Amino acid sequence: MCIRPPVTLIAGLALVVQAFAAPAPVDFIHDVRPILEKHCTSCHGPEKHKSGFRLDVKAEALRGGDSGEPAILPGKGAESPLIRFVSGLDEDMLMPSKGERLNAGEIDTLKRWIDEGAAWPDGVDTAVAVDKLEHWSFKPLRRDPVPPSTSGHPIDGFIAAKLAENGLTLSPEADRRTLIRRLHLILHGLPPAPEEAEAFVAIRDPGAYEALVDRLLASPRYGERWARHWLDVIAFAETHGFEVNTPRENAWPYRDYVIEAFNRDTPYPRFILEQLAGDTVNEPRGTAFLVATAALLTGQIGKDEESKLKARQDELNDMVANVGGAFLGLTLHCARCHDHKFDPVSQKDYYSLQAVFAGVRHGERPIPPSDWDDRQKREPALRTQFAVATERMFAFEPVADVATAAPTTPRRAALQATVNSDRFAPVTTNRVRFTVSATLHGSVEAPCIDELEVFSVAPDRRNVALASAGARVTASGSDAMAMHAPELINDGVYGDEQAWLSNEPGKGWIEIEFARPERIDFVKWGRDRLGKYRDRLPTEYRIEVAGADGVWRPVATSADRAPTKDGAPPRSTRLAHLKGAELAAWAEANGEFTTLERQLRELTQPPKVYAGRFEKPPAVHVLSRGDPMQPREAVAPRALSQVGPALTLPADASESQRRVALAHWLADPENPLPARVLVNRIWQHHFGEGLVGTPNDFGRNGALPTHPELLDWLARDFIAGGWSIKRLQREIVLSATWRQSSAPRPDALAKDAGTRLLWRFPPRRIEAEGVRDSTLAVSGKLDLRMGGPGFLPFAPNFNYVRVYEPKLSFGPDDWRRMIYMTKVRMAQDSTFGAFDCPDAGQSAPKRPRSTTPLQALSLFNSRFVLEQAGFMGERLQRESADSPAAQVRRAFALAFQRAPDAAELVTCEKLIREHGLSAFCRVLLNANELLFIP
Amino acid sequence: MDRRTFLEHAGTGLGGIALASLLGGNRVLAADRGPIRPQIRPENALAARPPHFAPRAKRVLVIFCSGAVSHLDSFDYKPTLFRLDGQPMPGTEKDFLTFQGENGNLVRPLYDFKPRGQTGKMVSDLFPHLAELTDDLCFIHSMTAKSNTHGPAENQMSTGFTLDGFPSLGSWVSYALGSEADDLPAFVAIPDPRGVPQAGVNNWSNGFLPAVFQGTAFNAQKPIFNLASPAGISHSADGAARDALRFLNERHLAKFPGDFELSARIASYELAARMQLSVPEVGDLSRESAATLADYGADDPDPIRSGFAKNCLLARRLLERGVRCVQLFNGSYAMGEGIGNWDGHKKLKEQYDIHAPILDRPAAALVRDLRQRGLLEDTLVVWTTEFGRMPTFQKGASGRDHNPNGFTVWLTGAGVKRGFSYGATDELGHRAVDKIATIYDLHATILHLMGLDHERLSFYHNGIERRLTDVHGHVLTDLFA
Repeated sequence: MCIRPPVTLIAGLALVVQAFAAPAPVDFIHDVRPILEKHCTSCHGPEKHKSGFRLDVKAEALRGGDSGEPAILPGKGAESPLIRFVSGLDEDMLMPSKGERLNAGEIDTLKRWIDEGAAWPDGVDTAVAVDKLEHWSFKPLRRDPVPPSTSGHPIDGFIAAKLAENGLTLSPEADRRTLIRRLHLILHGLPPAPEEAEAFVAIRDPGAYEALVDRLLASPRYGERWARHWLDVIAFAETHGFEVNTPRENAWPYRDYVIEAFNRDTPYPRFILEQLAGDTVNEPRGTAFLVATAALLTGQIGKDEESKLKARQDELNDMVANVGGAFLGLTLHCARCHDHKFDPVSQKDYYSLQAVFAGVRHGERPIPPSDWDDRQKREPALRTQFAVATERMFAFEPVADVATAAPTTPRRAALQATVNSDRFAPVTTNRVRFTVSATLHGSVEAPCIDELEVFSVAPDRRNVALASAGARVTASGSDAMAMHAPELINDGVYGDEQAWLSNEPGKGWIEIEFARPERIDFVKWGRDRLGKYRDRLPTEYRIEVAGADGVWRPVATSADRAPTKDGAPPRSTRLAHLKGAELAAWAEANGEFTTLERQLRELTQPPKVYAGRFEKPPAVHVLSRGDPMQPREAVAPRALSQVGPALTLPADASESQRRVALAHWLADPENPLPARVLVNRIWQHHFGEGLVGTPNDFGRNGALPTHPELLDWLARDFIAGGWSIKRLQREIVLSATWRQSSAPRPDALAKDAGTRLLWRFPPRRIEAEGVRDSTLAVSGKLDLRMGGPGFLPFAPNFNYVRVYEPKLSFGPDDWRRMIYMTKVRMAQDSTFGAFDCPDAGQSAPKRPRSTTPLQALSLFNSRFVLEQAGFMGERLQRESADSPAAQVRRAFALAFQRAPDAAELVTCEKLIREHGLSAFCRVLLNANELLFIP
Repeated sequence: MDRRTFLEHAGTGLGGIALASLLGGNRVLAADRGPIRPQIRPENALAARPPHFAPRAKRVLVIFCSGAVSHLDSFDYKPTLFRLDGQPMPGTEKDFLTFQGENGNLVRPLYDFKPRGQTGKMVSDLFPHLAELTDDLCFIHSMTAKSNTHGPAENQMSTGFTLDGFPSLGSWVSYALGSEADDLPAFVAIPDPRGVPQAGVNNWSNGFLPAVFQGTAFNAQKPIFNLASPAGISHSADGAARDALRFLNERHLAKFPGDFELSARIASYELAARMQLSVPEVGDLSRESAATLADYGADDPDPIRSGFAKNCLLARRLLERGVRCVQLFNGSYAMGEGIGNWDGHKKLKEQYDIHAPILDRPAAALVRDLRQRGLLEDTLVVWTTEFGRMPTFQKGASGRDHNPNGFTVWLTGAGVKRGFSYGATDELGHRAVDKIATIYDLHATILHLMGLDHERLSFYHNGIERRLTDVHGHVLTDLFA
């Protein structure tokens, strides 16, 4: 704690100073700067600019810091905040906050210097302040003249001009075989069919190339390829990440949304809006963007306040970081703890942006079906039918026997993990108790019940145990995890993730008190209605009701049930008490019941998407050093203060208003970043490298554009063309730059081995998805079913903490395109993950491209590839004459769209003759030529 | 490397990856403290590379006890805690909240402590074999973690960040230094026989570094996936396929002379073929003497105990062959809280009585064996866990909750003092109070011992020069011999 110097002392000193009249004027260099360097510039100097303020550079010092007020008011020493802060006149702002305080003499020197006009000579500063706005990407889009070119295409003009500066030229156009293969691999991520390639090679029409481009862009295969690039940028995955890494069952609709958006060519501003605020424009799937990243589940977050706040801050940080990286190409998250070191993003800007998302939570939201109104009209009639069907089924339910102590032949069915019924004579009560005394696996497992339903008698059949009906729950105890609280037994939600779990092995009880006494005759309960879990099933239990006298009386127990087996009991046991016509009647009633139940569920429960859930945003504060335990001033939601057009929102702006406003701000043509960032991403996926080599960082720490004029031309053209991504794709692939040969030229290699100047088309390995999809395409097994839930490349596992072991056998479900492979965070597909597949931990806008022995082992030895080699062999037998030479020719056409040369033919024929077709196909599926974009 | 030379290497593959770094990162960083980029040859990305300065250690072995080992019941002796057994924790409100909720009273260490060796340092009976090595160990008693949740905390211990998606220590080290072992992975993770740890593959993830720097996971129970030649394909068919593949690839390369990415793929098949021989050889424990097997406990009838013992032997054999980083895990999470790991919430003593013998004898044998073979001269061994545990029992339980504010790790081998203790927790072992150390500090220290400056080992990713130590970390020079 610093001791404030008494004001009288300062005043006294001032008097003393005045007594010695007319001292020499204070000199900045000799008198003032040493004081600033001693006390101030460690925080307000070259390294750190706390509160956006620095005292080592004249212009910055006189301008003031983040407060917007100058700290030095020339001629007014006593009023200058600098003097007030250092002399302790301002209780909230005592400077320096750390380290040695200024002594009275030093304070007086500063004050006199300001009084005398704060003369700060020019050109004496040892540091130069960098104007963070003085950077190419924050300036408006340039409008440069298009250099001439042979093709007349503006892209070629810019590229050829830069080449000419370096004494280079474009390469000649690639041959048609190369072009069609390149087009297919880049636009679709699949090789062309041999017949398509041959037709394209044969056709003489000069418009054939354009026609091919249009056809490829119109194909749904295009969206399936390019959606992947976007999913990489935002680290989309279908699990929660961290240690439990459990599935996000309903994350997949976002993948479908992105694929559709690319295929539909959704204009980019709309694409932004749907992802930030799709809930406001009937596209709730888009808002999955906001919650795409990993997140801790409730049970994984500490119960202490600090842990909860930290976890929430991490969620919000991911939202801001993803918006910054994906749309702005800025590392906004760098300003979480302090002003951005390189870019004009203050810490206050960061928290103002956080305020835009402060009401966004991870969760699920329904995807409204197109026929929603119609469904609502149909619902009442269906409910009536369902009630009748329920009573029909109820009639078959044997009544529990609590009179016989131990019945010799159990009358009632063995227990199932999904759902069990207990029927008893009608009784009026206000309390039901369910007591467990054993579970399926002996005494090891604590019992778990996902839902306990208690029904009032017909005709007014209702679940009177529901919390929403006013019922209350007490339990013997429950597991510490929030997902297993007692209140989840009557929340109306099935499944293990919202289920009561006892805290004692093999036992526990749960009691439900109704809002009022009810006449009841039926209880339904299960361990996991969704059918995933079979452990923890109560096997010995009794259900009791409290009489008016408060005494508990049993109405049903497990004593008259057939013994429970591990796994579903056979049908015959369940229906043992039914015979002949009765059984047939049951079957009919059951069929009707099941159908109606499903219809009702489909009607009333629209599909869901894991997406943003929105609530009233709390006040947002700047957090000192990013620490949620150290809040500072409150901030209103707004966009960046120094970049792009101004956007201010009232502090009480509604939750959705904030997101909508930000989406419009991002798509404002005056905002210099989003169009540049997007066209650069598209360019990068064509040429392997963007015009800006750092796709998520257009700030001062990022790379400079190799062709700034071209980048801005593309951005302008993109905006002028209605922000159409397909139009941009077309522009790029029609250029001579894109169509040139990839053959190396010694003269050019000597000058630009990296091909950054694009004197040829840069050849490169395809990405993991391309490798897998090409394999399936060539083997003939590729399944082009689009959309819906994906397929899992891992063996089934329902452990609380998921363990992802590779799948060991594959079938047709696994032969869909890899974009539909369920994306598990951090766990990679055992065969293709090794090809630099992003792990969805962090944003991956640009995949590394490495070559490893594990890749070789995967392709050469994996069961998946070997099976496909077998299928490819069968295909060759089907599709070609029964001679090795014909088979080799067909295989080359399928894999490489060309004929083998004589030497290749000899080698491959020999391999087939000696080791069979599979051996040969295994080789082709490993060949460099298959894996390269030519 | 100047811009021009760089561009010549930047064409494909790994060279291209470094592109952003050079075009971006260097421009705004002070030249004298700027990143030191490893010179990676695209055609052999794991070739050995020089460190930043002379290293004390050439290799590192991390023994990671997953689930959070209680420092209070193992290495951090707290006499006051014995005395205050059953008392409420001073200075806290009743039933103060930690990770799982409310806490009860203080509970004395569940194992007795004894003075050990020449130093007489007090170590508990939990690990009798490791305790015998006390004179060799260099303890840090003042460790702190950023998270009190296993996943994020294990992420931090292995990658420096609590979030998913960052490169692990072993990936950073192999990125910087490559490998001394030609036919083996540079970085091997050995999961526990019971399964993978809490944060799973994150612990050996390459994050955003190229896949070539990812840890390869295998253990004595489970070989590298896809390593073996497929069943049903004869040796001669396999060889013929390899020859044909090479023939096709070389003809293809002739159309793109000098293309590194193409030649690297050809080379990768050859390295893969060599690995098919060298990895089974390194895992073949039948060449170990009966005495060695017995010393590690590899002959134990219990499959988990002998399984972990075999993993310890595998670790030694990998280090002997020059593998740069070996991460040896003890404990797995799949079986749930505390059943297969050190997460002693409910019945700590009961669980630790099972887990301690699995770790103790083989790990102690491993350290002794490394010393006997002279490997500790240039191998650093780090024993660690993700955080510590509370001096109290949880309310209604006989176990201790998570405590990220104080825990113990130890080091031994190359470059560190023997029989030394650094830092301390308070008298109840609740919080580190003396010479507080962070995971960043531990990582900075490990890198320093490997000859790497933790502030200059960085990789440009999405606008940031990423480091293992983020923007933190101080080398704990007090630990150095």
